[in-house]
Amino acid sequence: MTILFLKNTGRFIFLILFQVLILNNIQYSGYINPYFYIYFILLLPFETPRWLLLISAFLLGISMDVFTNTLGLNAAACVLMAFVRPFVISAISTGTEFMAGHSPSLKNQGVKWFAYYSIILVLVHHSALFYLEIFRFTEFFQTLLRVLLSSAFTLLLVFIAEYLSYPRGK
Amino acid sequence: MRYLLYFLQKQYIYFLFLALEAISLLLLFNYNDYQNSALAGISNGIAGSVLNLSSNVSEYFSLRRVNRILAEDNARLHSNRSEAFYKADTGSFYQHDTLYKLEYRYISAKVINNSTDKRNNFLMLNKGHRQGIENHMGVIMGDRIIGQVVSVSDHFCWVMSLLNKDSRISGKFKKNNQLVNIEWGGGDYRLGEVKEIPKHVVIHKGDTIITSGNSDIFPEGLLIGTIDKFTIAQEENFNYATITFATDFNSLSFVEVLIDMMRQEKENLKKSFK
Repeated sequence: MTILFLKNTGRFIFLILFQVLILNNIQYSGYINPYFYIYFILLLPFETPRWLLLISAFLLGISMDVFTNTLGLNAAACVLMAFVRPFVISAISTGTEFMAGHSPSLKNQGVKWFAYYSIILVLVHHSALFYLEIFRFTEFFQTLLRVLLSSAFTLLLVFIAEYLSYPRGK
Repeated sequence: MRYLLYFLQKQYIYFLFLALEAISLLLLFNYNDYQNSALAGISNGIAGSVLNLSSNVSEYFSLRRVNRILAEDNARLHSNRSEAFYKADTGSFYQHDTLYKLEYRYISAKVINNSTDKRNNFLMLNKGHRQGIENHMGVIMGDRIIGQVVSVSDHFCWVMSLLNKDSRISGKFKKNNQLVNIEWGGGDYRLGEVKEIPKHVVIHKGDTIITSGNSDIFPEGLLIGTIDKFTIAQEENFNYATITFATDFNSLSFVEVLIDMMRQEKENLKKSFK
């Protein structure tokens, strides 16, 4: 239990720093901003209580906001994402995928399951984030393009991270 | 009552969700109150020191360019010194304090965090209250405009750059002083929008837009950009143009904060008029 806690706390800090120091400096044509830090929410263990899920997502978002001077923006998107996570899991699972004490992963749940899982959640987060940031509908399609391109980029990073943490040879 | 409690207990997760979302959105929309609160100072301090560290590292990568700019500045300043002039008539170089009163003071600051890819972009500078920086001060680089200070802590400040939804700069055509407003529509950080150009103003590609001096933030005559493309409206009363910003927002390293020495006086005058 303690190890699980420490592991997740470490991941929390690492992902925030990675996002702030590296990813936020990647700027490509004003449309692509990967928000890889939400990988933390994707990787929380299956049996995390829902209140803990919401609270930790809130903390993650608010820490991110402190660095980008957008207080509340990332927090709102992260809380929404954490809220829909259990619904997404129960909707796409057939019941055999779960393993106690495990986090969702490409290796344990299979490519198809993990792809559905991450695509839905990343899209939820990015849509909430970008539309809240703009907060007007006059730039609807422009924003939609940003959501789709950035999601694709975030997902690419998520899958790279999954393959890196579970080498195929094992 | 018991059923109500039971209901609350059973559905607590939804209430927690709504409560957290409410907090987030409240923070998001009360943005401006937040900036003056104590919380801003604390979080700016923490974020500032991390970002400062990161900037200290990345600073090395731009040393070559910074050196060049400094050398150019040096050359320019040297050529402005009185020694560089031939004194034809000593009387003509005489400056009197009552004639030239200092209106703007410049504080040099380092950009320690910057973005150009968001819809609302901010810069963080390594100067704050301690160095005399206050809200609503203008930020420039040389004779180019960058943005205005929106939040200050002891050692750092956040600057809203032109690349922001809420940024609206009062400018004018250099050639005929026609007033226009400059905004940024998102997307490419090099291109801005000029809306509401009166129809009788003849626009050409390459026309220079400078600050009008109508706002209290920037003095007159700072470069904003040059007209890139324009459309002549058929039905509406105003024409529309896009401009290329004079500032390259993606490569800022050292900027200057403008301190208006007569701001208090101007504000008092405004108040007394009301």
